[in-house]
Amino acid sequence: MTAVEKRVVVNKIILALSTLSAVIAIAFLFWILGVLVMKGVDALNWNIFIFEGAPPGYEDSGLKHALVGQVILITLATVIGVPLGILAGTYLSEYGKNSKLAHFIRDISDIMMSAPSIVIGAFVYAIVVMPMGHFSAWAGAIALAIIMIPIILRTTDDMLQLVPGTLREAAFALGAPKYKVIMDVVYRGAKAGILTGVLLGIARVGGETAPLLFTSFNDNFFTTDLNAAMPSLTVTMFNYAISPYEDWQQLGWAAAFILSMFILGLNIMGRLILFAGKRK
Amino acid sequence: MASIIDIKDECALHVRDFEFTYKGAEAPSLKKVTMPIAKNSITALIGPSGCGKTTLLRSFNRMHDLYPGNIYNGEIEFEGRNILSSKEDLIHLRTKIGMIFQKPTAFPMSIFDNIAYGMRLQGLKNKTELADRVEQALKDAALWKEVSDRLKNDANGLSGGQQQRLCIARAIAVEPEVLLFDEPTSALDPISTQGIEKLVIELKDRVSIIIVTHNMQQAARVSDYTGFMYLGELIELGHTEELFVTPKEKLTQEYITGKFG
Repeated sequence: MTAVEKRVVVNKIILALSTLSAVIAIAFLFWILGVLVMKGVDALNWNIFIFEGAPPGYEDSGLKHALVGQVILITLATVIGVPLGILAGTYLSEYGKNSKLAHFIRDISDIMMSAPSIVIGAFVYAIVVMPMGHFSAWAGAIALAIIMIPIILRTTDDMLQLVPGTLREAAFALGAPKYKVIMDVVYRGAKAGILTGVLLGIARVGGETAPLLFTSFNDNFFTTDLNAAMPSLTVTMFNYAISPYEDWQQLGWAAAFILSMFILGLNIMGRLILFAGKRK
Repeated sequence: MASIIDIKDECALHVRDFEFTYKGAEAPSLKKVTMPIAKNSITALIGPSGCGKTTLLRSFNRMHDLYPGNIYNGEIEFEGRNILSSKEDLIHLRTKIGMIFQKPTAFPMSIFDNIAYGMRLQGLKNKTELADRVEQALKDAALWKEVSDRLKNDANGLSGGQQQRLCIARAIAVEPEVLLFDEPTSALDPISTQGIEKLVIELKDRVSIIIVTHNMQQAARVSDYTGFMYLGELIELGHTEELFVTPKEKLTQEYITGKFG
């Protein structure tokens, strides 16, 4: 075999191996989705949305408590996390720029992004749950917001920096004060990107279980009291899935399916908005 | 030494012994520039890349102040005061001295809102007056016929030439005294360029214009006065036809005949 022939063969082997690895990696994703769809759709029915949790064996049991709790927790976390994330990102891009403080905040926020979420849960447990003396929706939402902030902060920072400097200069040249330039011109120019960051941030915390385990805890019944333990899809799913009762396990599959579709939807929407924004 | 014409007519701006140093630079980028800018006429600034013409232009509306650490020295007189003073109200100054950039800078909003932006900043809220002044500005910028039926559309849907005229309309809508043009046609095709040049000439009845250009033919076509800059110095300022036909400085002659540049 000549050197050239050898290289051609090696090339083919590497190509085959890398393609195979890619297929295996993707296959797991579709496998998970496939199982979820099969088991989840099977477990879906209207009762899920009508009834709250019930002891095993009851006909009229559903996930209403967990669905509503999930929506409340995510909404609260969004209300806390989005303004903080966007304003902090605005500081980095428009005021801090290349200062040491700005770089320090960026580095810290990158580290925060990979912080184990259970540690954040433990932190909120110590500073919110312990002093209050009980679990609460507030504590869960704060934990989720802390996870959300660095994601929104970094996307906002990146997206604002993509707005051309000449656009800012043009607004200044018309006699606009700085806050007006940011609000009227820079935010508008980065609208699609910021919205994508927000959606991805929500999607990221939507599937969190660990930080909720000891903050908002869980409840098998419907509640809207923000000062009490609040059920969530993820913790409910965990409890039902490890239970020995088949009807609870069914509900667990339904919860897993609904949660996955919600997060998949958010991710797809975020990407579509970004894509549409880029094409313009 | 530099040959600077003495302008007998009224002047819009007076630059005297002006030096400008960028942050951290050892030497000033503009050295002892002295030049009068005639009122209601067009003054072109020409010279090779890096000669300081854009730096000078951006000093007239203190654009350099957006980036901290730059140093101004000397004087630029406008309406009887030195605008380089630290007490100068930059927001007010920039409503009096407008700017058009090299690339069109349409804001991400509708055509109407783009034109109305500067007026709204000044507190104009009356809807009929806004609409009237937007229409007038668009007519003055020769854009009204093309956009009158789609004022609510996104301004970024316009062509490059239209966007540049939009920027001119936006700048003149606030009725400035001086307009600064920073190579306004270098990103445009020849036909759009012609339109902008025609517009610039029409505007000089109302505003004093300073235009930086890389294109000597453009300077010759549109301007009344031309200043030739080289290595941060103003080498010569004269009536445009005189400067191009009988330049007084050897450097000017060499540049306009293409010996360097």
